[in-house]
Amino acid sequence: MEPENGSDGIFVFFKGDIQNMAVETDKIILRITEIMINELKLEDVTPETFDPDIDLVDEVGIDSMDLATVALVLRDEYAVRIDEDDYPKLTTVRLIGEYIHKKLAA
Amino acid sequence: MDAKPTWKFSDLIADPDVEERWEKVRRYFFLRESTYDMTRHCNIRCNGCYFYEGEKQHARENANPEDWRRLMQAEKARGITFVVLAGAEPSLVPDLCRICYDEIPLGCIATNGLKRIPDDVGYRIHISVWGNDETSLNTRNAKNMLSRQLENYAGDPRAVFVYTFTRHNIDQAEAVVRKLADHNAKLTFNMFSAPVGYRGNLRHTPLSLADTQRTMIDLLENFPDTVLFSWYSAMAHTHEKGLHDLFGCSYPRRNNSTDVGLGRSFRQYRTDLTWDRAAACCVPDTDCADCRHYAAASAVVTARLFRHAVDPNTFRSWLDFVDTYLAVWVKGYVKGRNLCDETVCPPGAELTAN
Repeated sequence: MEPENGSDGIFVFFKGDIQNMAVETDKIILRITEIMINELKLEDVTPETFDPDIDLVDEVGIDSMDLATVALVLRDEYAVRIDEDDYPKLTTVRLIGEYIHKKLAA
Repeated sequence: MDAKPTWKFSDLIADPDVEERWEKVRRYFFLRESTYDMTRHCNIRCNGCYFYEGEKQHARENANPEDWRRLMQAEKARGITFVVLAGAEPSLVPDLCRICYDEIPLGCIATNGLKRIPDDVGYRIHISVWGNDETSLNTRNAKNMLSRQLENYAGDPRAVFVYTFTRHNIDQAEAVVRKLADHNAKLTFNMFSAPVGYRGNLRHTPLSLADTQRTMIDLLENFPDTVLFSWYSAMAHTHEKGLHDLFGCSYPRRNNSTDVGLGRSFRQYRTDLTWDRAAACCVPDTDCADCRHYAAASAVVTARLFRHAVDPNTFRSWLDFVDTYLAVWVKGYVKGRNLCDETVCPPGAELTAN
């Protein structure tokens, strides 16, 4: 596999890595959606139809206790801790997915 | 990757008693509160009363029923599901309380209990008790308070008596609880939390905090059908560190975030129906460093679910705390037996000499 930009060593990601990363994030997002629908008993929506960019607080009506509940289940699933101070930043499933992916990759 | 916690959440709730309690309390996660000063008037004057501190006591009083109805409708529209009607004395404006109840039927009224609130206002009612009648006379300038409060509220399913421990009334609590038990009344505990600039003598000391914790637990064990409390409630309220230091207060006054939770939704309305984010908390003008108020703890400890889900006893303690808070604040919610009957330290803190 070739580095994306020649041999000067600046870039640490490879094309394949970026593609894999996107796939992994998508998988995580799908799983988060399943957890959210299951734990919060969201109706009329499936993991496939749930918009990962919808604002969970403004548009879905999720509050801090709901986020804490989901964070606990995600902790079990991925062994990743979502810091309480980070909840306010995690307003969409995509942001949660990227947050977890970043922690997994760290 | 973070270190895996010792206990998985799924393991914590694998115990059937724990899972049942978790499912019971989580049904109330929809509660979103705000508080409202109903009138500038009160029929007594108490040493250390939060209402007559700061700016809010000078707000113009709006007693227009239609303005209140519009406010409640607007509150409901922005997602408020639970109202706390407090200062100065809501029983003096029963018609306004009724309007609030008509619009948002879950809530609680904080009252001194000297004037009965009509039965058709179906909120939980908290009746403040600050010691025996001699102490009440000294600190609240009212005679025979407990007898008068019981005349008004004994046998009333709305009523929960709230005994506020100061550093001078700890030894009076048992007689008060016994009298309430004789009348089949329910009681919970509060801690005197000094207003900003308070120079009176009710503020707690490390010694009085330790005495209070022992007394709370003794009464909890000796009067289980009367006292709505838990071991962890006792710990959280009497730790040498106040609630903000222990848990990080989530009310707007101490929380800049407006994205989610109390920082987003909570408001504290003054009698002119305005609110000020910089002053908004459940008991405004309390000295945050001394805040151990039961209303604050109800929200602040509950909000810290994640940090309590670390081991069985800590999580059971948190469940006991939330179960207690719901029984105290939500009419009709029945408290279960406590799941943890030992002293658990708040996560991240150390046990004090208590």
